[in-house]
Amino acid sequence: MHHIGKARKAATYIQYLLISLLILVPVVWLVVSSFKPSSAVVSYPPVFKFTPIIDNYVQLFKNLPYMLYTLNSILIAGGSTILGLLLAVPAAFAVSWYKKSWPTSVALLARMAPGGLYLLPWYIIFSRLGINGTYLALILTHTVITMPLSLLIMASFFDELPRELMECGMVDGYSLGGVILKIAVPLSAPGMVVSTVLTFILSWNYFLFALVLSKIRTTPLTVAAFKFVGEGVTDWGMLMAAATVLAIPPLVITFFAQKWLVQGLTYGAVKG
Amino acid sequence: MKQKERIPFLLLIGPAAVFTVLMTALPFVQVINMSLKDFIIGFQGVYIGLENYAVMLKDPVFWNGLRVTFELYFLSLFSQLLIGLYIAVLLHRKLKGSRFLRTILLSPFTMPPVAVGMMWLILLDPSFGPANYFLELIGLEKSLFLASPSLVIRTLAAIDTWQFTPFVVLILLGGLQTLPEEPYEAAEIDGATRRQRFFYITLPLLRPSIITATILRSIDLLRFFDTIYITTQGGPGTASTTLNIYAYNTGFVYFRMGYASALMITLMAVVLITVVFFNFLRKRQY
Repeated sequence: MHHIGKARKAATYIQYLLISLLILVPVVWLVVSSFKPSSAVVSYPPVFKFTPIIDNYVQLFKNLPYMLYTLNSILIAGGSTILGLLLAVPAAFAVSWYKKSWPTSVALLARMAPGGLYLLPWYIIFSRLGINGTYLALILTHTVITMPLSLLIMASFFDELPRELMECGMVDGYSLGGVILKIAVPLSAPGMVVSTVLTFILSWNYFLFALVLSKIRTTPLTVAAFKFVGEGVTDWGMLMAAATVLAIPPLVITFFAQKWLVQGLTYGAVKG
Repeated sequence: MKQKERIPFLLLIGPAAVFTVLMTALPFVQVINMSLKDFIIGFQGVYIGLENYAVMLKDPVFWNGLRVTFELYFLSLFSQLLIGLYIAVLLHRKLKGSRFLRTILLSPFTMPPVAVGMMWLILLDPSFGPANYFLELIGLEKSLFLASPSLVIRTLAAIDTWQFTPFVVLILLGGLQTLPEEPYEAAEIDGATRRQRFFYITLPLLRPSIITATILRSIDLLRFFDTIYITTQGGPGTASTTLNIYAYNTGFVYFRMGYASALMITLMAVVLITVVFFNFLRKRQY
């Protein structure tokens, strides 16, 4: 805006500070408390001075298969991100190149259904096919949420490309597939980054499908963390360590990819 | 579309289309089919027509779920738009440090709802939670928060507001950055106050962004599930049993798949009608 007086500037800074604190304090409290001994976690009034320990994390990874849960999360989120992109990139190019809007409308419509609506028939179909609790089932179901988002983001990035560039490619003898792989995708590299980052986080965070469709061997971190709550909380220290392990990867990715994230959100959200 | 173009278009769109048909369209047909059956897992379903829907209309837990869903929806949406608008305008002043705040704003809504739920479960615990400690510190009484039937909806709305207001801020900030300069210059010449500029220029021009934020939040809020399932599982009693929680429990705790299907379809209809309504508002010109 135009000129801002000194007093107003100071007032704005105080408001910035308050908002930052409101957002950060809860998260910092969670992470810090996960390094408290269990007795200090439940003491009231809260303990502010304590010697940090890593017992909660050691127990998590030693007494419980948290290594496996972490790998499961990576596998499911990674698998559905890649599969989602493989399906979405050619479709997004078609949408953008031939100026068709119905596929994006279908993607948006599918986004509106509650996850549970699909989960009911999936549970029955997957049981019949004998793939309940497999990675395949989890990756396929998570792709239902990753693919439409990648489609929307990539279509808006492809829309920005100059048409002549790709027509030149065709004149030079590239097939349509060649144009996509050699021209459109490299020029939309930021879009690929945005899609990958956003859909990976979306899939990593998604809870409902794995809650029903995962078995012990394929349980991701979301469902594993929930077990601390569901079975009646006995160890608050471990619960906080579990929540921290679950939350750290998206937070770290967000921090490093923030520039692209903001751009992607404005594309995917506002234009969609 | 010319005949020559149709084939490459279909080839490119094909894999995604086949996937969508197999994973969503066919299951959608099946869920409608299931909703017409008296279908409990382990038993052969029998067609009963619209009986499930008739039962639903007489089911007090369904009506309670609808009420809880909308209370939570209106309360959360209203707070998120209001606070979101306030923070967006604040950030638009582009002072040094607004970049830093924008970075921080990204963290709540990229956190897994499961972790957010667990975090607030600890912060708001009635016996040892620090939230009560701070309440007492400023001379207020301790609260039960999520354990109180009368406060649980407001508490859940506050948690969702903590997590998703930053998302609304980003959308509104995107809108603010595209506003034209001219009306503001004209207003300055006319001697309009800051408040007048905000209410008569900024707010009307920002309408498309506000409606976009409203639609995106509506879709999520009407299907509110994760945070509730983590913190209260719909309790105490049925005080936070939204339609989505009720439908889930009906299907996957009580295995009444037929009735659960009818509830899920009703929920989807509620979401769809709301979105269509706001889309209509977006397209309408004044």
